[in-house]
Amino acid sequence: MSANPFPKSKGIDRRGFLKGSAVAGLAAASMPISTAVWAQSGKVLHISSYADIDELDPGFYQNGYNVDVMNCIYSKLVHYVPGREWDTSLQAAEEVKQVDPTHITFRLKKGIMFTGGHGEMTAEDVKFSFERVIKHDSPVKGDWGPLDHVEVTGKYEGTIVLKEPFEPLWTITLPYGTGCIVSKKAVMEATKDGGDFGMKPPAFSGPYILDTWKPGQYVKLTRNPEWKGTKPGYDEIRILPMDDEKTMEIAYESGDLDFTAVSLSSLSKYKESPPAKTTIQEYPSLYYVWVGMNMENPALTDINLRKAIQYAINVPQIMQAAYFNQAKPATGLIAPGLTGHRESEIVPPEGDLEKAKAFLEKAGGPPIEPLTIDTLNATTWTAIAQVIQAQLAQIGIQLKVNVQDSGSFWTIGMESEGDRWKKMQLIVNRFSMLPDPYYATQWFTTDQVGIWNWERFSNKEFDKLNQEALQETDHDKRAAMYHKMQDLMEQSGAYRFLTHEASPVMFRDSVKPALRPDARPLFRFFKPA
Amino acid sequence: MAASEENVSIADHAKRTRREPGALRQYATQLAGNPLGIVGLVLVVLIIGCAILSPWIVPYDPTQIFVGPRLGGPSWAHWLGTDQLGRDTLSRVIAGSRIAMLVAVATLGTALTIGLLLGLIAGYGPQWLDNILLLLFDAVRSFPVIVFGLALVTLLGPSLQTVILVVAITSVPIYARIARTQTQSLRNAEYIQAERAMGAGTMRTLAIHILPNVIGPLLILVSMDVPLVIATEAGLSFLGMGVRPPTPSWGTILNDGYGVIRNSPWPVISGSVPIVIVTLGFTFLGEALRDIFDPKLRRDL
Repeated sequence: MSANPFPKSKGIDRRGFLKGSAVAGLAAASMPISTAVWAQSGKVLHISSYADIDELDPGFYQNGYNVDVMNCIYSKLVHYVPGREWDTSLQAAEEVKQVDPTHITFRLKKGIMFTGGHGEMTAEDVKFSFERVIKHDSPVKGDWGPLDHVEVTGKYEGTIVLKEPFEPLWTITLPYGTGCIVSKKAVMEATKDGGDFGMKPPAFSGPYILDTWKPGQYVKLTRNPEWKGTKPGYDEIRILPMDDEKTMEIAYESGDLDFTAVSLSSLSKYKESPPAKTTIQEYPSLYYVWVGMNMENPALTDINLRKAIQYAINVPQIMQAAYFNQAKPATGLIAPGLTGHRESEIVPPEGDLEKAKAFLEKAGGPPIEPLTIDTLNATTWTAIAQVIQAQLAQIGIQLKVNVQDSGSFWTIGMESEGDRWKKMQLIVNRFSMLPDPYYATQWFTTDQVGIWNWERFSNKEFDKLNQEALQETDHDKRAAMYHKMQDLMEQSGAYRFLTHEASPVMFRDSVKPALRPDARPLFRFFKPA
Repeated sequence: MAASEENVSIADHAKRTRREPGALRQYATQLAGNPLGIVGLVLVVLIIGCAILSPWIVPYDPTQIFVGPRLGGPSWAHWLGTDQLGRDTLSRVIAGSRIAMLVAVATLGTALTIGLLLGLIAGYGPQWLDNILLLLFDAVRSFPVIVFGLALVTLLGPSLQTVILVVAITSVPIYARIARTQTQSLRNAEYIQAERAMGAGTMRTLAIHILPNVIGPLLILVSMDVPLVIATEAGLSFLGMGVRPPTPSWGTILNDGYGVIRNSPWPVISGSVPIVIVTLGFTFLGEALRDIFDPKLRRDL
């Protein structure tokens, strides 16, 4: 059995790996507060986020920008390790062991305190934090998959009991959002039933606390005076919500930010002449961008027409026009470095105009009425749509570009939002991703049709594989399942995978950032250089 | 001799007639004496000329991608450079003038017609109808144009027609209110009362006596609103809510240019300059026309 969740650590026993990591964590946790050296006093880290926070309950959050803050104010059993390779390490736990496929035991570090006099973190808090996600029918209960219950075996010890094996537990559930541990006492006092406490965390257990939140203006995190672990690098972290990368770049250049993402269109210029005392680094991204086709739209029911469109799309041309050659073509949903990444796709990246024409002939020629392609009103996306428009024109297919604002775009294929899904034909789409293949494929199952599966792709074999892969603990077998699933998607003609994009960042030389391998910042571990 | 005197009299009359310039000539003379008005006229003629002749004068197909180097600066081949898809920016700016003028003519034509009609009804009709129409005008005016536009675009989808509808709806109350006020001030004038006493019907009174007096100030206002309407279209297109790509409009040129401003400032400059030109042109011309046709309005303002 290959037990480690990440392919990089393939062959390393999961138990041994986590025990080994425990040594460093234990040393940090047991360090007396008097001996801890505070990082440079008075240091403030100025950063931006692509959206303003809207939910700080780890049991009920829905978006990654909330997790960026939750990472700072709560503790988890394990966390992602900053670096270029996907890996996890112990945080609030001294040890985590998988005793069998459905039982995971843990032992907490002693002395982790909740703020506000809510006492020490215990196994009861872990049980409460994890079980409430299932009990209250949280929107993120899928992350806890087949959790049955958590058994408390001691003040600091417990066992997570699953109904069936669940591989994403190690790659998403524990190290990401729902793995955060809240105080049972504090939450019960605040909510009575242990439900969603929204934007008012009743107690903190991380190195920072939420000091101020001015909606639409900034989030201010300050040091947690009751924190006894490794001291954080900054006295204060100030997060400014900015939904536009160009705005972030301008803010960085004017000195308002110490760290920011860089748009791909600006990357080459920044590399030529970076701002003073700045380091630019390039990271791969996990996002996946694709062109989807609504299989139930009358104009697209013929698979030959869909395949003609697949073969007419030249992905490298799109990379050049929309991404300035700073991103690479994707082979599927799953990015390189993750379990299930395909080495190659069925339709070559450049497409094949002759094959496209042949499929079009089988389909009886181009549609009489122009097809439509929906896209978000962002420069990159509209550029993609316009290049595809020109490429399809080469085989005689006329395409109209429908530009949508975000509110309209992100509901276009949802049955709950009316009948617009019926008119949707082609769409340029982009989903975010976490480091487990399940996170990508879960949106394309039959039960997601009309929710997030806007192509209305329905395949029994795909659904079966998606379920089985959740329980498959052998890395190679699991990878083969996800390869097959992506093949099935592509063979349906409803998908043309474009890219995973890329994630360049820049930061001041005075900052030592801590980033996940996909460049998502782990602010908790940022330090002054 | 009587015949001779008569001939002299006719000749004198003819001379006098020649010496007195006609109304049009008089206006032209007044405009010629207003340097800003002349500048405005030249700019407006330039823009309208571009709009009408654009299909014949564009150097390249404005929607053809990859025709030149991407994000190239000005060169002999591409006077305003190229955009991120290699399209000739000058061609897109010229073609964009057609969209701008189309939006201006269609929007203001619709808004003026409906606004004038509703204003006449409100000003000349019964009080209860006036109250209802006023409430309607105020209700429509209370919506911020861009926000109203975004809501309508979400419902109807982005297109040129939607942009025209948005701007027309939000402009109607402006013209309607002015037409109403003018009508109310005229309805009790002595010559209107006299016309009524002689048995003239409502339609005749409105069409023959009130409309000609009301429409003048409205036309001046329309000429000054042209840049406003074009800027609104550009604003909606900048937000991605205007014309469909790849149709060029000044707003989409600005939007596309903003995304690549670090690579090349030319698309943004090229999209901005025509908006400045059209604003200055119509404002200067509008002010000159106002001075010529309604000096009283100038004093009032």
